[in-house]
Amino acid sequence: MTRTPCSLAALGQVNALGKSNAEVAKNLFAGDGSGLVRRDDLVPGRSLFFGEVRDPLPEIPARLARFDCRNNRLALAALEQIGAEVEAALAAFGRARIGVVVGTSTSGVSDAEQAIAERERTGRLARKFDYAQLEFGGLAGFLAECVGARGPAYTLSTACSSGARALASARSLVALGLCDAVISGASDSLCGLTANGFHSLGALSEAITNPCSRNRDGLTLGEGAALFLVTRDPGGVQLLGVGESSEAHHISAPDPEGRGAEAAMRGALADAGLAPAEIAYLNLHGTGTPQNDPMECAAVARVFGRELPCSSTKALVGHALGAAGAIEAAFCWLALREIRDGALPLPPHVFDGERDPELAEISLVPGSASARVGARARVMTNSFGFGGSNCTLVLGTDARP
Amino acid sequence: MKVSLSRWAAWAPGLETTEAWAAWANAPAAIGAEGVPDASFLPAMLRRRCTPLTRTMLAAAFRCLEAEELPRLRSVFASRHGSINESIGLLGNVARGEKLSPAVFSHTVHNAQAALFSIAAGNTAASSSLSAQEDTWPCAFVEALSMLERDRDAPVLLVVGDVPLAETFAPLVDEPAVPYAFACRLAAAGSGPGIELSLAESTRPRARPPWPHALEFLRWWLSGAPELVQGARSTSFRFARA
Repeated sequence: MTRTPCSLAALGQVNALGKSNAEVAKNLFAGDGSGLVRRDDLVPGRSLFFGEVRDPLPEIPARLARFDCRNNRLALAALEQIGAEVEAALAAFGRARIGVVVGTSTSGVSDAEQAIAERERTGRLARKFDYAQLEFGGLAGFLAECVGARGPAYTLSTACSSGARALASARSLVALGLCDAVISGASDSLCGLTANGFHSLGALSEAITNPCSRNRDGLTLGEGAALFLVTRDPGGVQLLGVGESSEAHHISAPDPEGRGAEAAMRGALADAGLAPAEIAYLNLHGTGTPQNDPMECAAVARVFGRELPCSSTKALVGHALGAAGAIEAAFCWLALREIRDGALPLPPHVFDGERDPELAEISLVPGSASARVGARARVMTNSFGFGGSNCTLVLGTDARP
Repeated sequence: MKVSLSRWAAWAPGLETTEAWAAWANAPAAIGAEGVPDASFLPAMLRRRCTPLTRTMLAAAFRCLEAEELPRLRSVFASRHGSINESIGLLGNVARGEKLSPAVFSHTVHNAQAALFSIAAGNTAASSSLSAQEDTWPCAFVEALSMLERDRDAPVLLVVGDVPLAETFAPLVDEPAVPYAFACRLAAAGSGPGIELSLAESTRPRARPPWPHALEFLRWWLSGAPELVQGARSTSFRFARA
């Protein structure tokens, strides 16, 4: 059976690298990690690096004040960048045919923290606080109301694979004919809950995350949003493959053998009908924790051998948890859109250069590198979540104009 | 896509058996606000870590499937509130500058129920977890359809459930505050009998049943009535027997 085309027809994004596709692309391919900054207000007594969005964010429209939280402001910053394409889809298909499937792991927790802190002081929740800011479904509800979409609107939250999984489901809703277009991607925001939660697990790096290094000591948290307009148009950047697995292993640690990671990558290749050698680049989950990198490198080496160019972009934007899968799919989208004369630009693997000899050998992208691609370019991105929820995507473009 | 619903199980206080649910569906009454299902089906180590929501959703999941399908089927877990009750305690810790418990934090991810199901059942298949405000149930059905689209030959376990919100947030949410879970096994129906879902814009507010939407769906399924229209927001979800 031939699969329905799935176009990632438009993209808007905001993260520590910038607030537009052009700005993010420039800093991404330059390997500019200066967006990671120290903050001492998230974990008591600790000054740690975070991939913070420092640009001012758009205001939530007054009619949607109940949704006003940082997470939704980040999402709105991404949504505004694809406003014209969303308007065109609403006009072409009608609002009942436009769905919203997005991911988050935080929703508006940072705003709920303020509400709870006020309750500790005064005995009452902050007046501005509304449950729609905190509940996970609020992100999808906000975006649907914002644009007037009347198709199904829901939020997937499978920890760090949420954003990738949202794109997988969006593709299916379009293929099923339940929607003609879906606003899909993710938003996640820095907050005390996840910062202190990961700190309690000993998972946060003392410095900037250092994936695949012998000196790596944990992850750096980040925030951001990436939203795509998913349609069934042929051409452009296509979502070609989805691979999903669960680990049945542990609530907060991956299977050390990387079997779930391997299953997700092999599943995505099979879904896209591709051989491993047809993939030109892999964006690693690459969190820089002691547990993630060995299992991921081992799994990558088993599937691809050691030649495939790979990079983790977590040292540039931080780990945006529920949004990471969408943000990294956005990086793949940018790379595919910037192919020039058969050269696919590659996001560099930023670390201290001291590769951990204990890791299975894979090719880490040095600064300013590109890969040769023919008429078809295919790239992959990995997202592995807490609780053993894995999702791998394959994106691609055909025959450049 | 037409789907068949071949097995189901549900749990709410005082409603534990198929017979009890059939009687309730015929003559529905208010559902009790307190209780948790017996968790003896879980290994002792997992039982200790289970929140009331996890216990409730996993009880429905394990009762729904035959033992040989538990480790194999893909799954969709849906809950409007998820682990927010546990998060409230952590938010208090954050407000007071206290250390968080790593174990409690780990179990507040929205996919905690899916993760513990995967571990308890030894299931490595794809799994998804979602939330959609008042429309969490019908959107969960849509997400199950999306999984079937990815592989029409493999059935999907759909589990939806919630427990009442703790008093910190309960006054902010207007909906039946009952602990419950509903699980069903959905498969692509081909030419056999099944359920067809169609979507449209909803133009006027729809009266809310005095129990969760998923249990209203169960009532409809047991009633034999030709169709059920749900949707509390601006989408109308029409389930029809086909």
